[in-house]
Amino acid sequence: MTATELHGRDPYRLGHAGVEGHHDLATGHGEGGPAPKRIIVGYGFWIFLLSDFVMFSAFFATYAVLRDRTAGGPGPQQLFDITDTALETGALLLSSFACGLMSLEMERKRLWATEAWMLVTGLLGFVFVFLEGKEFAHLVSMGHGPQSSAFLTAFFTLVGCHGLHVSIGLLWLGTMMAQVYFKGFRHYIQLRVMCFSLFWHALDIIWVAIFTLVYLIGVRG
Amino acid sequence: MKLLGKLDWSAVPFDQPIPLAAGGLVIVVILGVVALIVAKGWLPYVWNEWICSVDHKRIGVMYCTLAMVMLIRGFIDALMMRTQQSVAFQSPGYLPPEHYDQIFSAHGTIMIFFVAMPFVIGLINFVVPLQLGIRDVAFPTLNSVALWLTASGVLLVNMSLVVGEFSRVGWLPYPPLSELTYSPGVGVDYYCWGLQISGIGTLAGGINIVTTILKMRAPGLSYTRMPMFCWTALASNLLIIAAFPVLTATLAMLLLDRYLGFHFFTNTAGGNQMMFMNLIWIWGHPEVYILILPAFGIYSEVVSTFSSKPLFGYRSMIVATMAICIISFLVWLHHFFTMGPGGDVNGFFGIASMVIAVPTGVKIFNWLFTMYGGTVRFSVPMMWSIAFMITFVIGGMTGVMLAIPPADFILHNSLFLVAHFHNVIIPGVLFAAFAGYEYWFPKAFGFTLDERWGKAAFWFWVIGFYLAFTPLYIMGLEGMPRRMQSYDVPQWHMWANIATVGALSILCGILCMVAQLVVSIRTRDQRRDEYGDPWDGRSLEWILPSPPPEFNFAVMPNVTGEEPYWGLKEAAREHQRITRPVPEYEDLEMPRNSPTGFVCAFFAVMMGFALIWHIWWLLIVGFIGAYATLVVFSWRDIRERIIPKEEVARIDLENRAKRNLALQEGRI
Amino acid sequence: MTDHSEDATHRLEGGDVAPGDVMHGEFTAGWRSYVLGLIIAVGLTVASFLVARTHLIYGPSIDMALATLAVAQMGIHLIFFLHITTGPDNTNNVLALAFGILIVGLVVFGSVWIMYHLNQNMMPMPLTTSPQSGGM
Repeated sequence: MTATELHGRDPYRLGHAGVEGHHDLATGHGEGGPAPKRIIVGYGFWIFLLSDFVMFSAFFATYAVLRDRTAGGPGPQQLFDITDTALETGALLLSSFACGLMSLEMERKRLWATEAWMLVTGLLGFVFVFLEGKEFAHLVSMGHGPQSSAFLTAFFTLVGCHGLHVSIGLLWLGTMMAQVYFKGFRHYIQLRVMCFSLFWHALDIIWVAIFTLVYLIGVRG
Repeated sequence: MKLLGKLDWSAVPFDQPIPLAAGGLVIVVILGVVALIVAKGWLPYVWNEWICSVDHKRIGVMYCTLAMVMLIRGFIDALMMRTQQSVAFQSPGYLPPEHYDQIFSAHGTIMIFFVAMPFVIGLINFVVPLQLGIRDVAFPTLNSVALWLTASGVLLVNMSLVVGEFSRVGWLPYPPLSELTYSPGVGVDYYCWGLQISGIGTLAGGINIVTTILKMRAPGLSYTRMPMFCWTALASNLLIIAAFPVLTATLAMLLLDRYLGFHFFTNTAGGNQMMFMNLIWIWGHPEVYILILPAFGIYSEVVSTFSSKPLFGYRSMIVATMAICIISFLVWLHHFFTMGPGGDVNGFFGIASMVIAVPTGVKIFNWLFTMYGGTVRFSVPMMWSIAFMITFVIGGMTGVMLAIPPADFILHNSLFLVAHFHNVIIPGVLFAAFAGYEYWFPKAFGFTLDERWGKAAFWFWVIGFYLAFTPLYIMGLEGMPRRMQSYDVPQWHMWANIATVGALSILCGILCMVAQLVVSIRTRDQRRDEYGDPWDGRSLEWILPSPPPEFNFAVMPNVTGEEPYWGLKEAAREHQRITRPVPEYEDLEMPRNSPTGFVCAFFAVMMGFALIWHIWWLLIVGFIGAYATLVVFSWRDIRERIIPKEEVARIDLENRAKRNLALQEGRI
Repeated sequence: MTDHSEDATHRLEGGDVAPGDVMHGEFTAGWRSYVLGLIIAVGLTVASFLVARTHLIYGPSIDMALATLAVAQMGIHLIFFLHITTGPDNTNNVLALAFGILIVGLVVFGSVWIMYHLNQNMMPMPLTTSPQSGGM
């Protein structure tokens, strides 16, 4: 039994918040005392995601600057296949949706439904990584690897960085599946799954920017 | 030797006596300390109570210790550069160019990343939860991970002293010089991986502090009641969250160029070097404010306390802090005016750079008006603050000069620039760190530092600073470029010698600080801080005993106004006893200590070393180890330990008794 | 669970919520929100691909249309999947998001603006076609 369960409240909430006649209890206004653990964890992870967006923005800016620097080699129009992109987009979007349903099942504390939706989320994520890997391998086999021009360098790095995030997410998801199975729905494990689903949805947002800027606008030249 | 990648015996610089002797000395000292700890039987204490500690106060102290050790390393580099420029007039001096280049690169890197950053972060870690009236930061174990990842970066960078070489390309690795073609050695790799690893730690720390300040303040401590130091810590950590990811991305691009033959910043295949300058300064300029904003916070606390007055213009101070936080993201191009972005771009960034002087000026006036009409006590922290105000204004003025693009075309890359940024960053960050060190030392350890040695250190430092850096302005105006290993211009020589005298004076200052620490520890029984308020302080940390118990607050304070502790103290003085009733104590849960941070850092160093020397199997081992550590940590069931209410009551009642006695005797 | 009831109380008191935090125990409402989000997102994605591949709208405005659709879709993800709303309980989350967007905007548009001008003012350089012919 965790200390949280033992005492029926958050370990950090030790004051006498709200009993002295404070009207505005939103912690955002600093009147209510420390927020519950769920909000602290969620907010901290939200800030991490924003910092991740800023990191991606550096790769996006680099891609925008280097896009036309093909060094005489092929550009986006010659290289990208929109059909693959559409499939990848579909896989990731459905994966995000499955992840949402997973968190709903977790709220209801239904172990097998949660695990099943986690599996669906992971499989769709794996399909995405697989398709992206296939595209990369295809480009490299045609001699258009990241070493051939600044444009391809920026492309492989931007899209690859997103793919790396998805791969790390898969590792995380697998770990969480094991943890939920062995430990059940403890409060702190639910917080971790909540962070994972935030991460997964955020990756989908970045993918929207990638498929628009890199692929859709790219093939138009 | 394929098993060890690029590593073999030629990596150890047997032919260069200086780094070898220095490295050997460091290794002997480290082994000596470890041997002492083991021989005295302190190992369990050091391991359990410090290395595994997730207590924000201990982590803060360890950050500051790290910074002070690295200050000595960085200062030795500075002393070598100054003496080299003294003797290298019409002669090669005593440092060969490739060694001199490593020294100025290491000096900048170490001073910014491993002195200024950990010092400021350490003080934030120690003070902010105390001022917010809470028991720990939002994510205590993550805090420990952040500390040890910073230490990993320090270890990697210092390892380059004896295994391989350090970067020779300056404190920022500008391509194409830093590309594999022109820097084939491991120096740039040491730099990049060291900073990547410590950068992750810095980002984690930033997230932690922002979450703590925004979500965990004591009841009633609204935004407009937070002490100024908390506000500046918030602004600074917001900047960390916004800027450090850009550094990570930029260094990752450079590493991809170097390791996998990518073409971000190369001369060939369409790479664009200027994109590196652009990206690195998107991080680099906010970085300056990451360091200086908490320093402003320290000065605000110190000036208000030692003037015995509330901070003048508290709300304008908040506005100024947040204005600097935003504008600092709009000025980065002034670091490369001369690369040719043209008139309109230069104009925009030049004006933005000048505008940022306005909120800074607001702050200076606020401190002056805080002192005006107050009862100013000239203790050591206050002396550092006054020296800062005078010196920093001079540095700010030369900064406004450099913000004018046409002037910058003449002055850029000269010693004038070097003088300018030392003129802002030494008073702006280092003096603040020293002031904070003197000010909060009794809170951390329970006894004050010796005033006389502190004042001696102060005068040596300040006089040394002016002697060392005023000549650099003059040399710069006489046309001397930065980073010169030797020169033939006679006009520069005298100034170089004066600057060396200044550096020697600073050396005396550092020695005085060491003496101060030794003397204070030896005479600690006479200088005990009995009840926890040695400076007649105003914010919540002074309500606690010194050193504070692990749980900080026996009962969470309920804040009803600005300067909550001052209000309580006034009432207590009037009645000559503590007016708050004895509370009902409860059992407290505190996070359990954990070796996770240290073990993670161990594997991070392993991975960094493997990457630098291309030892791929070791990289895989390190990754599996780090992942396994996290899984093991996340699997644990008992996450808190309980401090019984009897223990809480004992500590709190003891402090109440001491305070009551002091109140009756009129000492508070 | 006790900590859940505390979370619920906290929200009732007008406290704030974590990102991604909605509708405890209201399974149907949550389910409806995700399905609605999915439908809109799929619609916007299909619209993006259609706009890019067909000539349904005026040629020169296609890039702008794609950008608009992308921003709209990101907003949909934020609202329906990450549950970032404009409610008073979300102030801190939205403020953090606004700060993030500001920085992302500064990084991307600032870089593009600066680099465009730097390239404009570059001396004409011999065109190198590939790393091999670069003569390094």
